[in-house]
Amino acid sequence: MLKEVFMPKLSSTMEVGTLLEWFKEEGESVEVGEPLFEIMTDKINIEVESYEEGILLKKYYDVEDEVPVNEIVAFIGEANDKAPDTPPAAGNEEQTEKEAAPEDAVSQKEAATSGASTSKVRATPAARRAARENNLSIENIQGTGPNGRIHEQDVVDALNKESSKLVTPLAAKIAADQGIDTDSVQGTGARGKVVKQDVLGQQNTSAQETGELERIKLKGLRKAVADKMLQSARSIPHVTLTTDVDMSKAIEVRKALLPTIEAQTGYRVSYTEIIMKATASVLKNHPKVNASLIDNEIVMNQAINLGLAVAVEDGLIVPSVPNVDKAGLAELTTVSKELGAKARNNRLTPDEMRGSTFTISNLGMYAIDGFTPIINAPETAILGVGRIVEKPVVIDHVVEVRPMMVLSLSFDHRAIDGAPAAAFLTELKERLENPWTLLV
Amino acid sequence: MREITYLEAVREAMSIEMRKNEDVFLMGEDIGVYGGAFGVSRGMIEEFGPERIRNTPISEAGIAGAAVGSALTGMRPIMELQFSDFITIALDQIVNQAAKLRYMYGGKGKVPMVVRTPSGSGTGAAAQHSQSLEAWVTHIPGLKVVQPSTAYDAKGLLKAAIDDDNPVIFYEHKLLYKTNSEVPEEEYSIPLGEADVKREGTDITIVATAIMVHKALEAAAELEKEGISVEVVDPRTLVPLDTETIIESVAKTGHLVVVHEAVKRGGFGGEIASMIAESEAFDYLDAPIKRLGGVETPIPYNPELEKAAIPQVPDIVNAVKETLTKKAVAK
Repeated sequence: MLKEVFMPKLSSTMEVGTLLEWFKEEGESVEVGEPLFEIMTDKINIEVESYEEGILLKKYYDVEDEVPVNEIVAFIGEANDKAPDTPPAAGNEEQTEKEAAPEDAVSQKEAATSGASTSKVRATPAARRAARENNLSIENIQGTGPNGRIHEQDVVDALNKESSKLVTPLAAKIAADQGIDTDSVQGTGARGKVVKQDVLGQQNTSAQETGELERIKLKGLRKAVADKMLQSARSIPHVTLTTDVDMSKAIEVRKALLPTIEAQTGYRVSYTEIIMKATASVLKNHPKVNASLIDNEIVMNQAINLGLAVAVEDGLIVPSVPNVDKAGLAELTTVSKELGAKARNNRLTPDEMRGSTFTISNLGMYAIDGFTPIINAPETAILGVGRIVEKPVVIDHVVEVRPMMVLSLSFDHRAIDGAPAAAFLTELKERLENPWTLLV
Repeated sequence: MREITYLEAVREAMSIEMRKNEDVFLMGEDIGVYGGAFGVSRGMIEEFGPERIRNTPISEAGIAGAAVGSALTGMRPIMELQFSDFITIALDQIVNQAAKLRYMYGGKGKVPMVVRTPSGSGTGAAAQHSQSLEAWVTHIPGLKVVQPSTAYDAKGLLKAAIDDDNPVIFYEHKLLYKTNSEVPEEEYSIPLGEADVKREGTDITIVATAIMVHKALEAAAELEKEGISVEVVDPRTLVPLDTETIIESVAKTGHLVVVHEAVKRGGFGGEIASMIAESEAFDYLDAPIKRLGGVETPIPYNPELEKAAIPQVPDIVNAVKETLTKKAVAK
């Protein structure tokens, strides 16, 4: 009996998974729980274990292929079973041996089908009629209605514009992938239709002009970061407050605790942990800063879980350190270091990236004084940490040299106003300048 | 031309038909000396006498049964139900008898009766006296269903209803009784099944019934200030329905909003929307069809809640803007 292996959906935002590695070859036997393949989602790399036993009969995708969630990736079965040559996805389900489908596969298949239908062009009947009558491909028209719905006027506009240029779907796809505007491409097909070759030609020309080195498609983590940042920057009214913090005493605290914590944990406590600890203790007094804005509701969070922005090879990943307010510096050091290492090795689990209530982004290891961090939505604020650098400061009418650090707090002005955000940052500055109060 | 009220127009139509044809008579609760719950038949007993303006016992089933029986034997009864809500009591006679008999007798018996009845909310008459149940009866083959929105239409349509050899449910909206419009003194009749374009426009069609016609017209006037040209179509009769006029209008404007007072779920708006989706107008639709109807609640007694339970002018304005994918105004 054929058993389907699906691309799993590992997070609510996951739409496709990229195959990174197959651990089994066709014809090899597979046990339940054995790793079958590794995928990259928009957040993590993860090994997918088999939930069936038998022989891996057919693999439908190669390494680097992107596979939509719930699509059939492979079949497992017995030696004399015959798996279809092409993946029986939405649209050609007929090829699947019906009796082979386990019951819950039906709903997954439906999910895959409905997923496919959402990618269809949304156009009103009138728009379709107008396009049909004018021999225009509806796929090439930009819709201005809700969710990009194409209205009759869009078709009329497209007809009136020079950009109503005929483009084959393949050419349009290549152009979209490569970021080429088909308006600027000379079509060589019938009635000036832009065909694949025209776009490829254009691509070569522009590559020559710029001496282009490489084109990297936005995908996987890079795409997830891109989408999330764009969404956050576009939809949240960001305001950033900055303040200078005198880190003299924090440096003393770190020096004093360093040997003890290192002996206890094997890790060296860093300023990040001290800042996390101070932030968590101050967040307790400022619940609005430790909140999330979800569907027009400000959700005040009881837990203080700090997201820690970690730079990894392909992008940015934010593991969540839970209950920072309740952890001691030693524990915090262990957890942060371990999560950071896991993040850099792409070994974070979805759970370890969930649930942060406030995020800290530390660029202190670079020659960066201050910056304007983008909020990790749906959180309502994010703290940017700059480097510690000695600067002249005036203290009691005397210029002194002190190790100074800039903190930048970006907050969502829909949820928080300037004064409460400023109060939070002021208290955080005071706490870091008097770190012994963390003991109280 | 003279202006008379909707109420007077209904009375005038009945009187004209009664003068012409002795078989026509009116019966109902307190319709005689008292003149009916809303005063529609006031004064008619003086002209036509108690034989033809017959008070009945308080039994809607009885009135309907008597109407069916007398219609079958050659009379042309008009029966008045004090509130259209009470049709529930008369439904066995109306649905199982009146609607079926001409068919079941192979055309050898006819049921030329009219059920006149005030419907709708707006008078603070609460849940059992304010409903709009017209969609129920449109579901029954053999019944015709009329909903005039103006005095002019009321006179012309009632005359046609009395003339019709089939049972006709004639809904009069309570709030329209006192509204005026130009009504010719001479005889005229409006054939059942002819919609009326109450206002011409080019951007969007609103199909509205009964009192919603007036709200749609008010909304159209508001929208005109913003450069949106609204066509308001009043079907006037739900059965038979003038699909042609509605289809023509939607094909012209490419947008449709249907407004009725009855609860949206299962309301007649759904019938109009699906009729359009099935028709050649489908290819001209440039946005999803929007239905506006009453909220799913019994009509409240509290006047503010009563108002909130049915579509109002700003709701129609918003629905039009949403349909045209223009920014709707904040409510």
